Amino acid sequence: MSTTSRAAQRAGWAFVAPALTLMVLILLLPIAGAAVLSFTDYSLGGAAPGWVGLENYQKILTQSRYQAMIEATLTYVLTVTPLSIGLGLGAALLIRSLRWGAAFYKTVFFLPAMATLMAMSIVWSFALHPTLGVINATLASFCGTGWLHAWSWFDESCRTGFPLWLGDRSYAIWTVCFVGVWQGFGFNMVLYLAGLTSVPRELYHAAEMDGARTAWDRFRLVTWPMLGPTTVFVVTITLIRSFQVFDIVEGFYEQGAGPSRSAYVILFAMYEKGIRENLIGIGAAIAMIFLACIVVTSLIQQRMLEKKAHYA
Amino acid sequence: MTAHRFSLAETLKHVMLMVGALIVALPFYVMLSTSLKSPGEIERNEGGFFGAQAVMTDEYCVKRNEPDRAAIEAAMHKREGLDEAGARREILAGVRETCATRPAIFNYVSAFSQAPLLLYLLNGIIVTASIFLLQVMVALPAAYALAKLKFWGRDLVFGLVLFCLLIPIHAIALPLYIALAKLGLTNSYAALVIPWTISVFGIFLMRQFFMTVPDELIDAARMDGMGEFSIVWKVMLPAAVPALLAFAIFSVVSHWNDYFWPRVVVTGDRSLFTPPLGLHEFRGGGGDGSLYGPMMASATVIVAPLVVAFLLAQRRFIEGITLSGMK
Repeated sequence: MSTTSRAAQRAGWAFVAPALTLMVLILLLPIAGAAVLSFTDYSLGGAAPGWVGLENYQKILTQSRYQAMIEATLTYVLTVTPLSIGLGLGAALLIRSLRWGAAFYKTVFFLPAMATLMAMSIVWSFALHPTLGVINATLASFCGTGWLHAWSWFDESCRTGFPLWLGDRSYAIWTVCFVGVWQGFGFNMVLYLAGLTSVPRELYHAAEMDGARTAWDRFRLVTWPMLGPTTVFVVTITLIRSFQVFDIVEGFYEQGAGPSRSAYVILFAMYEKGIRENLIGIGAAIAMIFLACIVVTSLIQQRMLEKKAHYA
Repeated sequence: MTAHRFSLAETLKHVMLMVGALIVALPFYVMLSTSLKSPGEIERNEGGFFGAQAVMTDEYCVKRNEPDRAAIEAAMHKREGLDEAGARREILAGVRETCATRPAIFNYVSAFSQAPLLLYLLNGIIVTASIFLLQVMVALPAAYALAKLKFWGRDLVFGLVLFCLLIPIHAIALPLYIALAKLGLTNSYAALVIPWTISVFGIFLMRQFFMTVPDELIDAARMDGMGEFSIVWKVMLPAAVPALLAFAIFSVVSHWNDYFWPRVVVTGDRSLFTPPLGLHEFRGGGGDGSLYGPMMASATVIVAPLVVAFLLAQRRFIEGITLSGMK
């Protein structure tokens, strides 16, 4: 017994040693590194770094450039998260109640999650091109359709031209959001479809006996509460994925981050400062803020799931 | 009566989902269709899905085969009374004829010739395959130890794994970048692969899977005189194939599609570009109408492998990708 356990001891450590070493070197030390760097004015190949304390963070809170970053990031996260969850849930509910064709819609809606986002952003930017793109051409072809002109935006656009989408600061971030929703909601749909299969049929019968007659009642009383854990999960990963938006902005804008920095999302800011401009100190401070957002989101998720577990 | 109401609801659902499907499919349609059309058709937004496929001249090909001095002199020599301009015109007409091509062929040929797309694809394969193999080599024994071996400190190690699940690579990109730069490793395959060798998610996933493997199987193997090392590779690995497959899909899809990390560590060397990076560079090359065809052809080539694989094995893919939600 003692020999086998000693063998297990040795084998156990031998087997986790490579993983543990890499975990420390690649994941844990760099976090400490980023934290330290965020208090310095380090730049690669530059003079000896100086300790600047909270100056980097102060800049982020006060300079307009970073206010643009915070604004763009929050706009993206707070738009894409609810929309892609709502559409994901809606699609899942509709698809699940279909008699035929469910597999087809599921495939199509999940397709964007598979396709290289950089490539698809470039395709979208071509489709949204003001003169060559199919979007504005299609919209313009509807001009003259009487009832659509009741929509003042449409009427106005028919007369003065449809938006530049990517080139117009009042549309740019929303266009980025649109592609984010386009890419992400199918993923949420799949998670919700999985969640829906675990709702017991008997609960619907019971609810009906208790007087839940309409589909809305059944949703409100059975489906939605039963989807609670799924929703907590979906909200968390959607938030985390939204904070990580980068490819779309790079795919849309070769330089900069959209008109008047309207799409200056946090990872783009980190990349621009830390790598392109070699201002690693400030880049690291941005990275720490990014990390804080992710960790807080994950911790909230854990708390919520624990609470749910208590109910069950 | 209810039957009628029901089918109306069903129709309504299909209408709504169909509108959604059309919007979702739109960029794929645009990408494929544009990759088949001639520059003129792209600029005028005409030609339907396939374009007219009318014969066009490949101007790049003409430029490449511009007649040189020797060719012109040879032509003048061959036929008396032909002046220089005439000879030039004649040769050029011949060149234009050999450079005639169909738009679809033009776009795909230029995609591969204007940028080293084949090299990018090869890089993509090398990088994603090495990442996956290294991840498995590191994660599988660790997962086995965490699931099946009792050793001092196991809970601590597993706690660290759970903690590391929270860390997004973007947050540590800068220190990793500095470390790689100090080691002189930026602009190398190593820089593209090393940060991904440790997949705490892979460890977690496989540990969960190994927990379900009966202890008797392992005990039997020990009775047969197998060492722990061979148990990992000869017993656990084959048993873990379903989990490994899901993890493989997750790993390959995320690294084939990854743009952020290659962008950080490959700063100049085009020969190391992965497909998404190459595509972005292609775009930077200029955005006039004649480039959109080849650009969309490149995008199609880059997007196709995973999309086609997904269409062939949807359930496996969805399983593998949704696992990423846990990350």
